[in-house]
Amino acid sequence: MNFNRLRRIIPALLLAVLLLVTSTSCRAQDTSPYAQTQKQSTQRGATPAVAKNAEQGSSFNKFFPKSADGYQVVPAQEKKGFAEYKLNKDGKNVAVMSINDTVSTPDAQKKYQQSTEKIGGYPAAEAPGNATGVLVNNRYQVKVASRDPSFTKNDRVTWLQKFNLSGIAQLK
Amino acid sequence: MSKTIYQLVDELPSGGMTVMALRSLDIVVPGEWQNLVGFDNTIRAVTGETDPAFIQQIGERAVYLFNDKSQGYQTALWLYQSVDRASSALGAAALANKVGEKVPLLGFLGNITPKAEKAQTIDLAVKLVVELVAFCQINGIPGDSIGDFLASLGDYSGESLMRMAALVCFDGLIPLGPDFIQMVLSRFNNMSPQELEQNQSFQGVKDQIPGGNSDGKLGFINESFGSVSGWMGDFVKSRGLTPQKVAQNLSNFIEFSDDKLDYLGAFLDVSTNYYEHTGIQTLARRLIERAVAEI
Repeated sequence: MNFNRLRRIIPALLLAVLLLVTSTSCRAQDTSPYAQTQKQSTQRGATPAVAKNAEQGSSFNKFFPKSADGYQVVPAQEKKGFAEYKLNKDGKNVAVMSINDTVSTPDAQKKYQQSTEKIGGYPAAEAPGNATGVLVNNRYQVKVASRDPSFTKNDRVTWLQKFNLSGIAQLK
Repeated sequence: MSKTIYQLVDELPSGGMTVMALRSLDIVVPGEWQNLVGFDNTIRAVTGETDPAFIQQIGERAVYLFNDKSQGYQTALWLYQSVDRASSALGAAALANKVGEKVPLLGFLGNITPKAEKAQTIDLAVKLVVELVAFCQINGIPGDSIGDFLASLGDYSGESLMRMAALVCFDGLIPLGPDFIQMVLSRFNNMSPQELEQNQSFQGVKDQIPGGNSDGKLGFINESFGSVSGWMGDFVKSRGLTPQKVAQNLSNFIEFSDDKLDYLGAFLDVSTNYYEHTGIQTLARRLIERAVAEI
């Protein structure tokens, strides 16, 4: 009698163990270089990607350059702490322009600390993604990034100078 | 737990029905779409950056942005996935094995049923509205005016333009015929909220559609479709698109006869998930663009 009961329980137990083993091994498979970031950004109490006191993206819009010289300036993204416009020529995207509040990404300020170059009176630096940026008021990062080889560093500097940088400096 | 953003992009298929169907549309939007797969690969393509340390840094910021629920990126992903899932997955696995050889569609006719015209028209309109809502979740409402916003919408290129082309071709022209725009407009003019409620695609995503109750949502869909119908009409006209022309391009890998176009529509419905596929590509691009700008 007991044996019969056991015979019924054992397969169930084995199945349970099997399920447990398979599910844990499936979960342990994330060997990506981003696994650590994934864990940090999803754990309880994780720091949000965008700081609560970041400036609204809509307040950046008016400081962007306008379409000129055969270039079209097209709005692309507007999120809290961030706004981005595309720069198109002949229907082709040649660069993107952005303003972001580094209150959410304080590390971004580092590249400007050693900077000796200035654009429009603000510290300037080269940034990843074929980009040139300035840091306004030690807080707002204004960038122009090339998306086509024809758009050179000189073009990036020219377009950075078209931003209303002193206007951005008035933001808090 | 659901998949991470880098897993989703890394696991995008580089072949299969969806990719082949989309490639068949290259003639509609020439050179617009390369099937970009892989997270780091996308970072390299978007930024032109090759330094592994920078790529890692950009990727980490993108992961952070995606995982911050308040930023809307997860909602957009959910929308792209849901709208595809509503189309039945029937037979998709069996068909996946067939890729590489020509699929004789007739062999599958027993397994698939074309949707009723009414369901198909609602599907098309719901997909279009999902595009609009997902766009806003990913990009916010860029600029200071409605004109700015429309300019931003109108600047579609790459995988976003391919998604719209597939919407027009696979969910409009093929199942509904050359007058699909008029057909959807007139059907929506006479539709009751109850009719909309019964549609599976609508049910799947209705919570994310603005408008409050079903009546309001119906109004929103109607208005959105109406406002994009001009763009779609121009798209069809300027490229000289007809159901036959689209089917002709598909015939490179599917065998079927011209009088079975509604079955071809059903076949594409069950065997492709172009919305999710290109949606993940769009989402990854925008995340990476923002990430690289912020670091």
